[in-house]
Amino acid sequence: MNRRVVITGIGMVTPMALGVEENWKHLLKGDSAVGYISLFDASTFPTKIAAEVRNFNFADHFPTDGKLDFAGRNTQFAILAADMAFKDARLPGYDFDKRRFGIYLGSGEGKQDFFNFVKIIGESWNGQSVSNAKFVELGEKVFHPIMEQEQEPNMAAAHLAEIFHAYGPNSNCLTACAASSQALGEAAELIRLGKADIMISGGTHSMIHPLGVTGFNLLTALSTANADPTKASRPFDRKRNGFIVGEGAGILILEELEHAKRRGAHIYGEIAGYGTTADAYRLTDAHPEGRGAIAAMKMAINKSGLKVEDIGYINAHGTSTVVNDKIETLAIREVFKEYAYKVPISSIKSMLGHLIAAAGAVELIVCLLVIRDGIIPPTINYEFPDPDCDLDYVPNVARRKQVDVALSNSFGFGGQNVALIVKRYRS
Amino acid sequence: MGIGTEPFWSGIAEGRSAVRPISLFESANFPVKVAAEVKDFDPKRFIEQRKSLKVMARDIQLTVSAARMGMEDSAIEIAKIDPTRLGISLGASLISMSIEELSPSVRYSLTESGAFDIGKFGSDGMNLLFPLWMLKYLPNMPACHISIMYNAQGPNNTLTTACAASTQAIGEGLKVIQRGDADIMITGGGDAKVNPLNVLRYYFSKCLSASARPPEKVSRPFDRDRDGFVVGEGAGIVILEELEHARRRGAKIYAELVGYGTASDGAGSLGQGFNGRGLAYAAESALDDAEVNRDEIDYISASGLATVLADRAETAGIKSVFGAAAGGIPMSAIRSMIGYPGASIGALQLIGAIMTVQRGVLPPTINLETPDPECDLDYVPNTAREKEVRTAMVNSFGMGGHTASLILKKFV
Repeated sequence: MNRRVVITGIGMVTPMALGVEENWKHLLKGDSAVGYISLFDASTFPTKIAAEVRNFNFADHFPTDGKLDFAGRNTQFAILAADMAFKDARLPGYDFDKRRFGIYLGSGEGKQDFFNFVKIIGESWNGQSVSNAKFVELGEKVFHPIMEQEQEPNMAAAHLAEIFHAYGPNSNCLTACAASSQALGEAAELIRLGKADIMISGGTHSMIHPLGVTGFNLLTALSTANADPTKASRPFDRKRNGFIVGEGAGILILEELEHAKRRGAHIYGEIAGYGTTADAYRLTDAHPEGRGAIAAMKMAINKSGLKVEDIGYINAHGTSTVVNDKIETLAIREVFKEYAYKVPISSIKSMLGHLIAAAGAVELIVCLLVIRDGIIPPTINYEFPDPDCDLDYVPNVARRKQVDVALSNSFGFGGQNVALIVKRYRS
Repeated sequence: MGIGTEPFWSGIAEGRSAVRPISLFESANFPVKVAAEVKDFDPKRFIEQRKSLKVMARDIQLTVSAARMGMEDSAIEIAKIDPTRLGISLGASLISMSIEELSPSVRYSLTESGAFDIGKFGSDGMNLLFPLWMLKYLPNMPACHISIMYNAQGPNNTLTTACAASTQAIGEGLKVIQRGDADIMITGGGDAKVNPLNVLRYYFSKCLSASARPPEKVSRPFDRDRDGFVVGEGAGIVILEELEHARRRGAKIYAELVGYGTASDGAGSLGQGFNGRGLAYAAESALDDAEVNRDEIDYISASGLATVLADRAETAGIKSVFGAAAGGIPMSAIRSMIGYPGASIGALQLIGAIMTVQRGVLPPTINLETPDPECDLDYVPNTAREKEVRTAMVNSFGMGGHTASLILKKFV
């Protein structure tokens, strides 16, 4: 059986805006969602900036009887984005087999009760070491029971299954920055295999908390260009100095083609190819010749049956780290050869920051919008060309171009690489 | 139960309990006092590089060690295989922070009155943590370490679906090979839940037993007086290989993995509301995937979460798949012996089932002293049983409502 997978609904919650069209408007204008961290007092941290979903009150957007109040921000973003996507796909009220309706997310962890956590550590000191006995005794009394449980990364997928009555396959993966792309790829495979007809897929993450920022700062992965937040994320620019952590969710409704046609669904595009590889090199550093990235792109292209010249746009991983952008460029040149200089490439992380596990899904939605509207969002803050990054990154200004096929790259911390190709749906 | 497959198998085949008083941390004033810990684990036996060990939390150490054992057992010669067709698919979960590790930074950041000063933490306190600190705690790091150790450049995923995590990881690994994207997949999972943060988190779910019984009697799936699970730790690795590839290199073959199904209860996000429907769908999907008839299943490795609700739901789910024949299929829960070792449970269940197929012995569900009228199947109570098993089913179901089912067959 040759089952084809199309996208029939999209939703997103990002630091730029709630909702797809609002986001798209700002992305095409080249706006930046980066600002000073407000979710905790980061005034003395090396990095004081991030891309936050500001003034977010879940109850304003989604009916909740209080049960989801203590779910992590990541879960709340996912629920909202999934609700948007489900409605966008015109599925509410449509009678379909819920056993063939599943969920596959790339979701990060929920929110830690950091201030209670450090308070208890402080109070558990017995003069020489931390008393674990005291820690659990205090923890039992002080920690919020629901908030604690809501930290596990499967909670978003678990809640979505309950809310949407999705009784089919239900998975969550956490391959860092590649997670939601990987979830989308595997969700598509489940549909192709005949295990489901509709999958809610994509990802969500919210790491703008003291331990998240601390971890990235200790690795010197984040930009510390605090003086000018909206200029800090500058993928492929010679003065790039690290990524900006963001938060949010991107959700896509993947659907088997015949199922979509039978109900007259609107089709945004088709999943044409999925490549997944590992660098098998180092814990943090990408392989210097980009072998994993190259292999992932080639695998996706092979699976799609297309040629590199068919690809009209590349949505780069483009994190704004010195290493990623250089190696990604190298890898694109190796895969695309002379055509690498002709294909427009852009990184929306220049505007949204890095949504970590959610990045891939948001970026795939952007690829679909590029196909729909024939406009490519820019890589902003592109001022100083880097000889190592000599391709066309659609600098600063959006560009009109008819695009029928787009490739999206997501390269995770830990060397997991995913490449996804979406194309204009043609029967 | 031990380090290695044989100690694991002899433990479960003899119906021994691995539950003891908690020793990995001081739990004196806490309602939960027992756990199933991995005893005498020396990671240096399996991980030579000191630098690597330093960035591995216990969960990662257990998983990587199991991978070492699995790969050695497989006798795969890394130099002779195509690295791009060797992949990894693991189950994992949130790795808890080490309180001891964080403590110096936190204490440094306290004001004179003992209150935490985030300003002091941001400017100075955090620098008491070592630079690669975060890498100790990312769930995809076991897969990363293993990929480096074996130059595994193929598909690489880490699933974090609690009780179903490694079962799904193994199933997805099966699919990756079947769809032609790899020849060998290192699959399974690892977890280390016996630490203050995890125990607290489970305690809050109200699914953890706080029984005052002797340790070896606390874990009692399907028993009328069950009151929750016992927290544990462990890792299990199963090397999946495409058959012709295995034959060509003269590989030793344990069994054949023939089917995988996965679903959701649509309930169970906070350990409540399980209904068994998801387990039934996963099992039916696996049977369909394997093209195996219900009456071919000789043994089921049950999930056995050991809460009142979960075990009833599991029983109802099995009945809905197998109908009247359900009562005739022996179904045992190794959790009665090894507790709930987090994301590794599915892999350990599969290894137990593989050994069952090889050795013709069903491990028991121990501590089944008083039957629950709503759990009235044959759980192989208390004593192991000899039975030839040609086809076995492994079911994982629990926290979060994710369910998964694998079917394996004796290799002929």
